[in-house]
Amino acid sequence: MRDYHIVVLGAGGVGKSCLTAQFVQNVWIESYDPTIEDSYRKQIEVDGRQCMLEILDTAGTEQFTAMRELYMKTGQGFLLVFSITSQSSLAELQELREQIIRIKDDENVPIVIVGNKSDLEEDRVVTRQRAFTVSQSWGNAPYYETSARQRANVDEVFIDLCRQIIRKDNTTTPSIDEEVVYRRREHRRPHRSRRKKRDGGCTIL
Amino acid sequence: MTPPATPNGSQEDLRQHIEPSQPVFHNFLRAFYPFHPTYAISDTTVTLPLNEGDVILVHSIHTNGWADGTLLVSGARGWLPTNYCEAYDPESMRNLLKALLNFWDLLRSPMTRDSELFANQEFMRGIIAGVRYLLERSNCLTRESNLVQSNDGLRRNRKALLSDLSALVKTAKRLQEFTAVRHNQANEGEVNNTIDEMILKAFKIVTRGVRFLDVLEDDIRSRQQPVHRVMATVAEEVYNPPTPPADSTSFEGTQQVDPAYEAASRRSSSHSSGSGLSNSYEQTKRQSQSYKRMSTTFPNNSSASRPLSTARPTSVHIKRQSISHRLSASIPAAQRQNLVSEKLNASHDLFLSHLASFIGRLHLQSQSSAELILSVRQSVTAGRELLLVVEAICAHDLQSAEALDPARNMMYNRINRLVNAARDIITASGIEEEDVVMPQQNGRLLTAATDCVKAAGECVANTKFVIERIGDFEFEPQAEGLGIDVASIGVVSIEEAKPSAPESAPQETTPPEPASRPPPPPLVIPSYEKPLPEVPLSSPPITEQTTQLSQGGLQPVVEDETKEMAPEDTKRMSRKSMLPPLPKMTSPLLTQEDYSPSEQSMNEGEFQPSFRSGSIAISSSGTSSTYLSSMRDSESSMISQTSTRATTPDNSIYVPRNQPSISDLSVSGSQSTLADDADEGESKMLEKTFAHELLHNKEGQITGGTLPALVERLTTHDSTPDAMFVSTFYLTFRLFVSPMELAKALVDRFDYVAESPHIAGPVRLRVYNIFKGWLESHWRNLSDHDALVVIEPFAQDKLGRALPAAGKRLLDLAQKVSSADGPLVPRLVSSMGKTSTSLAQYIPADTPLPPAVLSKSQIALLKNWKMGGSNPTILEFDPLELARQLTIKEMNIFCSIMPEELLGSEWTKRSGSNAINVRAMSTLSTDLSNLVADTILQYDDAKKRAVIIKHWIKIAHKCLELNNYDSLMAIICSLNSSTIIRLKRTWDVVSVKRKDMLKGLQAIVEPDKNYAVLRRRLHDHVPPCLPFVGTYLTDLTFVDAGNPATKQLPGLGDSEGMSVINFDKHTRTAKIIGELQRFQIPYRLTEIPELQEWIQAQIVRVKSSSENENVQQYYRKSLLLEPREITHPKPSPIEAQNGWSAGQKEKFDIFAWTHSRDKERSGSVSATPI
Repeated sequence: MRDYHIVVLGAGGVGKSCLTAQFVQNVWIESYDPTIEDSYRKQIEVDGRQCMLEILDTAGTEQFTAMRELYMKTGQGFLLVFSITSQSSLAELQELREQIIRIKDDENVPIVIVGNKSDLEEDRVVTRQRAFTVSQSWGNAPYYETSARQRANVDEVFIDLCRQIIRKDNTTTPSIDEEVVYRRREHRRPHRSRRKKRDGGCTIL
Repeated sequence: MTPPATPNGSQEDLRQHIEPSQPVFHNFLRAFYPFHPTYAISDTTVTLPLNEGDVILVHSIHTNGWADGTLLVSGARGWLPTNYCEAYDPESMRNLLKALLNFWDLLRSPMTRDSELFANQEFMRGIIAGVRYLLERSNCLTRESNLVQSNDGLRRNRKALLSDLSALVKTAKRLQEFTAVRHNQANEGEVNNTIDEMILKAFKIVTRGVRFLDVLEDDIRSRQQPVHRVMATVAEEVYNPPTPPADSTSFEGTQQVDPAYEAASRRSSSHSSGSGLSNSYEQTKRQSQSYKRMSTTFPNNSSASRPLSTARPTSVHIKRQSISHRLSASIPAAQRQNLVSEKLNASHDLFLSHLASFIGRLHLQSQSSAELILSVRQSVTAGRELLLVVEAICAHDLQSAEALDPARNMMYNRINRLVNAARDIITASGIEEEDVVMPQQNGRLLTAATDCVKAAGECVANTKFVIERIGDFEFEPQAEGLGIDVASIGVVSIEEAKPSAPESAPQETTPPEPASRPPPPPLVIPSYEKPLPEVPLSSPPITEQTTQLSQGGLQPVVEDETKEMAPEDTKRMSRKSMLPPLPKMTSPLLTQEDYSPSEQSMNEGEFQPSFRSGSIAISSSGTSSTYLSSMRDSESSMISQTSTRATTPDNSIYVPRNQPSISDLSVSGSQSTLADDADEGESKMLEKTFAHELLHNKEGQITGGTLPALVERLTTHDSTPDAMFVSTFYLTFRLFVSPMELAKALVDRFDYVAESPHIAGPVRLRVYNIFKGWLESHWRNLSDHDALVVIEPFAQDKLGRALPAAGKRLLDLAQKVSSADGPLVPRLVSSMGKTSTSLAQYIPADTPLPPAVLSKSQIALLKNWKMGGSNPTILEFDPLELARQLTIKEMNIFCSIMPEELLGSEWTKRSGSNAINVRAMSTLSTDLSNLVADTILQYDDAKKRAVIIKHWIKIAHKCLELNNYDSLMAIICSLNSSTIIRLKRTWDVVSVKRKDMLKGLQAIVEPDKNYAVLRRRLHDHVPPCLPFVGTYLTDLTFVDAGNPATKQLPGLGDSEGMSVINFDKHTRTAKIIGELQRFQIPYRLTEIPELQEWIQAQIVRVKSSSENENVQQYYRKSLLLEPREITHPKPSPIEAQNGWSAGQKEKFDIFAWTHSRDKERSGSVSATPI
């Protein structure tokens, strides 16, 4: 089984640690110990393939800005998390993404944009349209809205990111045109599925 | 072990009666109908006979409806039909039942570290609280309550319940004494015996509680119904099975609605709605016994039978270990028990239980030869049975015979050795007058017995493997006497015994009656532990007996054995399907024809050495009435039938009792002899407690609880509260309770302990101490100030009255605390027991400080710089000294981090964060990284840049040598940043040696696998050491995010548990903070003010208003110094990936960095795929 390195990034207080903890934790775990080696590893199935995700979430160390690139170096895919209740948390993602592209030296690095705290619809300040615009401008990176607290869409964002990494691996040296076509096709789907979720899941939001 | 098939004969019309089944696992069941297996009960039958009213602790439920359970009334474990039972979960019993579950889990768990567990009596509190709750709910908490006064049955039951509780408490105390003396393994057996005893006692308490509630029900019923009879006599009440009311509507007329009453009535009505069983046997039986159950619930046709195999979902949630089996459920029950696998298991269990009780007894002070012979004999007989089964399997399949040979021989040898050891000891001691085997002689026996256990385990494991392979088969007792009928073995042994020990025979049948012996207890007292008829037979005074034994009976027996155990026997047995000639331990004590295992175990009990000090009357009656007068002695009679921890179920106790169990438990006349001190003890035992609102883990640590329960734990009267618990509480309480609430809870504790005057003193002192500790060392005036409203009046009023000095002191503190800045009494740096003074243990204070590596010319440079001269570069200074000064600088901040800065993500607050020092750490770390980048990028010459890089690698290396991981991290981060790492021309000049060094350093701070390398290094690291703070911050964040604030207390049955504070979360938080504090010990290094000043100036220089600005600024500079290689015909592989012109990108990066790239990009997707 292959290991996939995923880095979770975002401003402090957007609930990214909850997102990660929710994803990594199995429901029956009575108490979560983040200090052990396996604390951030989880096996999932993506399109019939078993993947071991190793998640690097730097929650709590957001102020160690110099550390960021160290974290980013190890990542193959990135979850960029903001809170739909904070305009600035989305703005901060911009800087993070640029840094990722710089350190990975790759414009097409797998990224998923996550608007967390979808359960706090009444406090929403970032409209879906705004988030969607950002996602389009970032090479159509898929955008999801999640609620770590209600465990809504949590697994989905990790699976999507993992799928992107796998696809990227499979198309190591595509010609430019092929890749463009590919990427377009690839990214339409998550949007659709997200919309569907949104339509069907209004009660959640 | 496989459960028997569904007990009902007819299974035709299952479908009609399928009820919507609840996937709820009931921990306790109560038989509403007696169940006596129609087939004969042999020792191998693991089916439990049930009497109406029996309560069962359920371990697992098989899908066919049979449950693996333990009968509380006897402690017997086996299979029982759940369709004879209903869930038992009356509200007022709930806490007691829950406590029993915990008690069972804790004591039965092999994980339990006995010594730690038993060192304090915490594990007892649940049971006590449960009993209290029951009494409280039924308004019977005090003897004076009207209910207790008016109902004699209640009064007696209540008393019995409390005396049983007191017995358990005393046993637990004894266990505490055991463990306190620090015994070696040799004592394990004794501890295990005591644990078994305690479990049985806990069972008994619950059985009493059930009984108590039944009486209560009867009472309420008698009050409601027009009473046709006068006040029921005790005996009547006691023997009446729980009776549903004839008319349930009459409940509504109850004047006094008591919760327990309500629960009771609910249960009663559920009786009537329970499904009936109606084969003719049961019906006739029911009629003959004239149960008062409403007959309408029992339809007359047989179709009403509702086998649970269908009613139970196949996915019944089984909480505990379920026993795997490969038998199909279609095999009839009667046959099933003949299956060889069943026989194997049963005989193995029996063997182990005998061995275990034997081993257990070896630890006691001394025992008579007679006892020794008896128990060895029992063990050997059981071992023989086991070997018989193995033999049968060998006979069944020759191939397996070969495979099993070694294990079988081994077991045989081990049994032989045990017998030899026993024989030698008896031969040696038998001549002596006292005829007592001293414990020091037991070593060999112990080894032999332990070896037997091992050998049997191995043999059984191998045999099971063989059975798996060849398939299970029916095991018929063979013609040549290979049957494992214990009775027949017993007869054989007796026949053999008789010639050798003729003198001893009459002793059993006609026990001598010395004048000193008290008259036997009236036989009307049904013995709870034993079948009634046998009781008087087994109670000759030991002294008499042993004397006789030494005179005659023993010697010949021993000789007999010697002959039997010739070494060639070993060979003879192998590979033959014939019964191996096992050594025979004939016992002169055994004369009864109807010898049965149960009786054996009874004898076992009777000959507990401790009986010697007790009176015969006690040992033979065994009723609860004796507990108070001579606790230990009477208790030992209970041990006899206990299975040890190693062996469940214990088959030796599956004997049908002559009396219904409820009446077994009945309050007999003897109970009125209960000593009066039981009543005095009542209040002591039943102190008001919230222990049932506390959650523990397997290690006994508190993992959850309500505030009153936690506060109670803080202020226990009988043990010093765990230091970790107290410091965790002080540190984290503001996360789950407001200071005001805590103050109130402490005052409440101070108040309600008045109900238990005997503990009020110590508890109140502890309450004061907790207040004092809070105010002195853990006070945070900002958040805690409100609580003074509660604390000051308390100090003045309640505390002042009870403990005047303490009241005055607390009042003083309360007044000081509001004006003081910072804690009144300086808190130890670490709440986890490490103090700043403990520095001494790592570096003696008189160790000379290492000399500074700073030359005069360097000092001159610094002086010149201070006077406005040129700024020296880092190259001017020695890497070691720079590393030292950086370390001192960072350590100063690190040591100032207060624990409260690390709570509740205080450091991540965007504004107004109080985590000043944590923030300073991250700022310094970032500044240092910037300084690294700045110093490198200041040179246009790649070679010069390389020199600086090399210097920083050296500094980083020195930081590692100083165990300064924080600075190491900052430097490595910078050297690895996109800004620096892209300077290819520069890195080309750096030597391979330095690059390798950097690689090594990098590997240490690698975040991979949750910083596995770094964590491993820091684990057990000895200070002085400056760990990377980031990992602690992440850990703290995730403990908070990954653990909920509250936990559920386990509910019983389908009830929801109560929600309590998740203290485990806070313990984890405190542990992480404690880990950090472990390193808050300054280095012993010389601070060089000039150098510090210079470093500070450099840091200030690289500081900019915005971090982001810095990063971008350095990146731009990096691009200017080493632009992307436009002219290069072949771009580097990384840069080629994007397939676009490097020049374009560079231009874009330099000039359009901060502009809105999004617009640009969205418009140019097709041209430049971004």
